[in-house]
Amino acid sequence: MPSIDYNSAAKVTERLEERLVESLTGETNVSRRTVLGGLGVAGSAAVGLGSSRASASSGHDDEDEHGNFGAVGEYRDLNFDPHEFLTAFNTGESGQDNIPQQVYEEDGRTVREFEFTAVDTTITIAPGVEFQAWAYNGQVPGPTIRAVEGDLIRVEFTNLGRHAHTIHPHLKNLNPRMDGIPQNGPGVLDTGESFTYEWIAQPAGTHFYHCHSLPLKEHIHRGLYGTIIVDPDPDRVRENPRDYVNYPGPITDDFRAQLVEEAKSRNHEYAENDAVNEMVMVMNSFDTNFDGGNEVYAANTRAFGYGVGDTDGQGNWTAGETKRPIQIDKNERQRVYLSNATEFDLINSFHTHSQFFDYYDHGTTLTPTSKTVDTIMQCQAQRGIIEMDYSNHEPGLYMFHAHQSEFAELGWMSFFEVV
Amino acid sequence: MTDKTRDSTTDGGVPAENESIQPLGLPRWVSALLPIVLLVLVLGLFAFTSPLAGVQSGTPLPDVTVTHTTLPSDETVVLHVTNNGPESVTISQVLVDEAYWDFRVEGAGGDQTLAPMESAQIVIPYHWNPGWDLEVALVLSDGATFHNTIVAPSQSPGFSLSLLGTLAVIGLFVGVIPVALGMLWFPYIKTMSDRWLHAVLIFAAGVLGFLAFDAGFEAFELAERVPGAYEGNLLVVFGIFGALLLVQAISAWREGRVAAGDSRASSGLWIAYLVAVGIGLHNLAEGLAIGSSFALGRVSLGAFLVIGFMLHNVTEGPAVVAPVARGERPALKHFAALGVIAGAPVILGGWIGSLAYSPTIGAFFLAIGVGAILQVNWEIASMVRDAGGRVASATNLLAFLLGLGIMYVTDLFVAL
Repeated sequence: MPSIDYNSAAKVTERLEERLVESLTGETNVSRRTVLGGLGVAGSAAVGLGSSRASASSGHDDEDEHGNFGAVGEYRDLNFDPHEFLTAFNTGESGQDNIPQQVYEEDGRTVREFEFTAVDTTITIAPGVEFQAWAYNGQVPGPTIRAVEGDLIRVEFTNLGRHAHTIHPHLKNLNPRMDGIPQNGPGVLDTGESFTYEWIAQPAGTHFYHCHSLPLKEHIHRGLYGTIIVDPDPDRVRENPRDYVNYPGPITDDFRAQLVEEAKSRNHEYAENDAVNEMVMVMNSFDTNFDGGNEVYAANTRAFGYGVGDTDGQGNWTAGETKRPIQIDKNERQRVYLSNATEFDLINSFHTHSQFFDYYDHGTTLTPTSKTVDTIMQCQAQRGIIEMDYSNHEPGLYMFHAHQSEFAELGWMSFFEVV
Repeated sequence: MTDKTRDSTTDGGVPAENESIQPLGLPRWVSALLPIVLLVLVLGLFAFTSPLAGVQSGTPLPDVTVTHTTLPSDETVVLHVTNNGPESVTISQVLVDEAYWDFRVEGAGGDQTLAPMESAQIVIPYHWNPGWDLEVALVLSDGATFHNTIVAPSQSPGFSLSLLGTLAVIGLFVGVIPVALGMLWFPYIKTMSDRWLHAVLIFAAGVLGFLAFDAGFEAFELAERVPGAYEGNLLVVFGIFGALLLVQAISAWREGRVAAGDSRASSGLWIAYLVAVGIGLHNLAEGLAIGSSFALGRVSLGAFLVIGFMLHNVTEGPAVVAPVARGERPALKHFAALGVIAGAPVILGGWIGSLAYSPTIGAFFLAIGVGAILQVNWEIASMVRDAGGRVASATNLLAFLLGLGIMYVTDLFVAL
C-alpha cells in the first residue's frame, strides 16, 4: 500500500478535523486528547476500515477481544518530522534550512562550519504528549553533522537556553579546550554566551555529540544530543588499510581494493554512496514524570513514528499521516547510522524481523564487527552502522524495534515497508 | 484519722496535734521529698556505674527528617532538616537526582553534625527548573540515606512587603469581608422566633462541626510531616484537648462569675466572642494554608478560589452574631471587634504561613482551632438548653445537617 504524501495527508487531516469538530459541537470540554482519539476513529471510518478503535462497526471479534497496542491518534505538531530527519545530513554544502552552514578551504583543509544554538522548547513525543526539551537548533535529536575524515568541523555555538550548556563531541580531539566540558576551555556557556568549537573529523565512523553540563542526566535526556558521521577517505584507506580492519592477517591487493570500494560507498562525496539508502536513527527516551524512569521510548523521538497508522489485525493496514513505516526500495543496500542516547536504562537494542544484518560497532571499521546478527545492543553513547539487504524479501512490512519488550510497547517499535 | 472538725489556724495549716502520724515521726515535707531524692540517687548510680553496659545490643537507628524546603533563588535549594534520633548524625554527602552534589550545612555550629533534636539548613547550589521534580537524598556518615522529593519546585516568595500586602488583600476578601457580610443578617435574626433562632444557632454549630473535622483531618495529615521526635499526631491531640479544656476553663470561670452576680458575664455577647475566637482560630489555619501554598508556589488564585472561600466563610457571620440576637443589642464596637476576631486571622495566618512555615506550627495551629471549635459547640448547645430550647429537636437536627451540608458543598469550591 502506498503511503500518503504530505499534501494529501494534510488535506485529509483538515477535513477530518472539521468533520470531527462539527460532530462535537455542543460538547463543552473537548480536550485535545479526545480530538486526537476521535481523529483516529474518524480517520479509519473515513478510509472505510474497521479498526480496533472503531469498536461498534468492527466485524473482527478477535481484534476486539485483544485490542491492539500502540499510541492512539496522530501527531499534530509538524515542526519535526522523523521521516525527514532520517535522511537529513548537514555537510556544510547541503542540509537542513534551519541550520546555517557553509564549507570552505582553510590551510589546505576542508572546513565545514555550522551555527548551533541551544534553546528551550516543547516537543511532541507521543500523540498529544508534550515534553519540555532542551534542544540544539530546536530539534531532538540534534542536527546530524556529516564530514569527511580529516576535515575541520567548526561549530559556532550560542546558548539561548535558561541553563548553561556545552557541546561535547565523541571524536578524537587533540585540544582539551574543545572538549566541551565544565572543567576545560570556556567551561559551560551561560545564557547568551557563545563559543566556537573546532574539531578534526577523526576517526572515520559514526559518532555522538551531547551537552556535558551538570547535572549530566538532565542535560542529556532533555534532548541535547545528536550524530556526527565521519566518512572514511578512500585515499587514506588505500594508504593505511590496517586502520580500518580488525583483522591481523595479510592485506592482499584484492582486499585493499575491496576496502577502498567500501570506503567510497560510505563517503557522501563519491557516486558509489548514491547507491546506498542511508538513514540516521538515534534511540532516545523521555522521563515525563521525573521519577528517573522513562515513559516514552522511540527511534528519533516520536513513539511509534515509524509504526503503521492502523491495522485490523488481519494483515490489512494503512499508513497514518504521521505514523507510517519507512518505505525502502528492496534493490538498494540499506545502511542505518544508529546511536543510543537513552538515559536511565542501562542498554537499548535494535532487532530486525525476518532479517539478519552486518554491524560495525562505532562505524570505525570497514569490515563488520558482528556478521549476520539480528539483534545488537548499545549502551548510552555507543553507536554503530547497520547494513541490511532486503533484495530477496517479498514486498511488505518488516518490523524492527528494541528487543526490550517494555521499550517496544512504550514506543520504540517501527516498520520498514519494502517495495 | 480523727473526725473532729479541724480548727482553722491563721496560716491555713493544720494544727500539729491533728497531723496524721508519719513513719518514724518524720515531718510531712520529708515524706514528700523522699521519693524524689531516692530517684536522683538511683539515676546517679545508673549514670556512673552503667549496670546495663553488658546488655548493649547495637545502636539506635539514625532518624533525620526534612521538614520542608525553600527555594530562595533559581540557583539555590535549601532543605530544613531535623535530627530526630537519640544519637548525633553527620551529613557527609548530598545527592540531587542521584548525583553527588555541592552543599553546605548552615546552623549546625559550623560543622555537618547534628546533635539530637538539632535542626539545620542544607544549602545546595543547584540550577533547578521550575516544575521539574527534584529528588534529594542525604547521605550520612554511616551510609544511611534519607530521601526527599521536591514536587514541582517553584521559587519561594521570601520576605517582601508586596507579598504581605497581597496576602492582606486576599485575607480581607476571603476572611474579613465574608464574615462582615454574614453578620449583616443580624437584624433579621433578631426578629426570629426562639425556635428558628435556635435552629440558626445549631446551624452555626453544624458549620463549626464541619470545620472541626476539616481542620482535624488536615492537622493529622500535616502531622505526618512533623519530625518524629515531636510526635506529630500526639501534638495534634494535645493541641485539640489543650484548646478545648483551656477555653472550657475560661467558660467555667465565667459561669462562676455569673453565679456571683456579674451581669456582663451572663450575656450572649460572651458566647459571641467565644464563637468569634473559635472561628478566628479556624480562619488562622485557613490563612496558614493559603500562606503556605504561596510559600510552596502552589497557589492558583483563580477568582473561583476566592469566590469559594467567600461563600464558605459568609456562613460564619450569622454563627458569630446569633448568640446576641436576644436581649439588648450590643454596642457597634462589639460587632466590629467580633468581625475582626473572626475574620482578620486569615491575614495573620497568611503571613505566618508564607514566612515561617513549618508543618509543626501548622499542625499545632490547626489542632488549637479544632479544640476551640469543639468547645464553642458545647457552649452553643448549653445556650440553647438554658434558653428553654431542645437541642435535639427535629428542626435543630436538620439545621445542624444543613450546616454540615452547606460547608461540604462550598468546600468543593476551595481546592488549594
